[in-house]
Amino acid sequence: MMIFATIVLMGLGSYAMRAVFILLLSNHTFPPLALKALEYVGPAVMAALVMTMLLSPEGGHAPRVYEWAGLATAAVVALLTRNHIYVLVLAMGVYWGLGYLM
Amino acid sequence: MPEASSLKSHYGRRGFFDALVLVIPAIPFALVFGLAVRESGLAIWLGWSSSPIMFSGAAQITLITLLGEGASVAAAATAALVVGARHLFYSFSMAPVMQRQPVWFRWLAPYMLVDQVFALCVGKQNLPTADFRHYYLAAGITFWMFWMTFTAVGLFVGPVIPAGLDITFATPVLFMGLLVTAIDSWQKAVVAVFAMLVTFILADMPSRSGLLIAVLAGLILGLVLERLRK
Repeated sequence: MMIFATIVLMGLGSYAMRAVFILLLSNHTFPPLALKALEYVGPAVMAALVMTMLLSPEGGHAPRVYEWAGLATAAVVALLTRNHIYVLVLAMGVYWGLGYLM
Repeated sequence: MPEASSLKSHYGRRGFFDALVLVIPAIPFALVFGLAVRESGLAIWLGWSSSPIMFSGAAQITLITLLGEGASVAAAATAALVVGARHLFYSFSMAPVMQRQPVWFRWLAPYMLVDQVFALCVGKQNLPTADFRHYYLAAGITFWMFWMTFTAVGLFVGPVIPAGLDITFATPVLFMGLLVTAIDSWQKAVVAVFAMLVTFILADMPSRSGLLIAVLAGLILGLVLERLRK
């Protein structure tokens, strides 16, 4: 019962963290500084998330060469083609190919 | 459901297919969660109940694993909250676009605001209000149904995908693609590289807290670069 109560509280916490700004700021006009900062949230979070996924949850694991190569391929292909299917196929090809060779 | 037709609209279909591409590499993660529940020694229904209640993969694994290892409830809950704290940024980022949405959607949308839904929708904020909503709902519901199903499957089968074929790497690959296509100025490119670098340097910080510092540092750098532009 204690565990279930914990899970329910964590569920409320998860929802609260995702909802807080959406609900509290629903009737406020954003000051210019906040609007400027907002534009950078997406790029900053996505970049940090990509890097987090390469690191092990315990920390300390340095990404391997073929992981760097796969990510670099993804970035270049996205820049050149803007097509996520090409990104997926080419970057995973490089990742698997180099991983197989090494 | 006021938006029962969302899958029929053009953007509903796009949201569904875009989410499907991100669902596939997340399957091993969902199965691993099922395995973590079994190894924790908790009743399986209890462990799985965190899927509909929390709907937050990394935070769920953190919570269940730590509870299974005999950590105190307070310690496990704190670690899981820190892991989930990046959602505060998602909420902040989505706040302006949600202002134009109906109230029921503003209350429902946060429940589905997982990494993948944020990644897909953050670049769609200029869509017309209804199209954005259809896209978001289709992506969110697709991901929700996937997570409920495959975390349950994982309770019984464990990770069945062979370790040799590592498809989980497709998630950072697709996120990298979404990141690059969302960058429309050199300032954003600099901020993204900087945030990656800070996350990398802070890799050893507990419960992914390095990510939070990296994002804050990135935002501050972004504002400084904005000043320089003038």
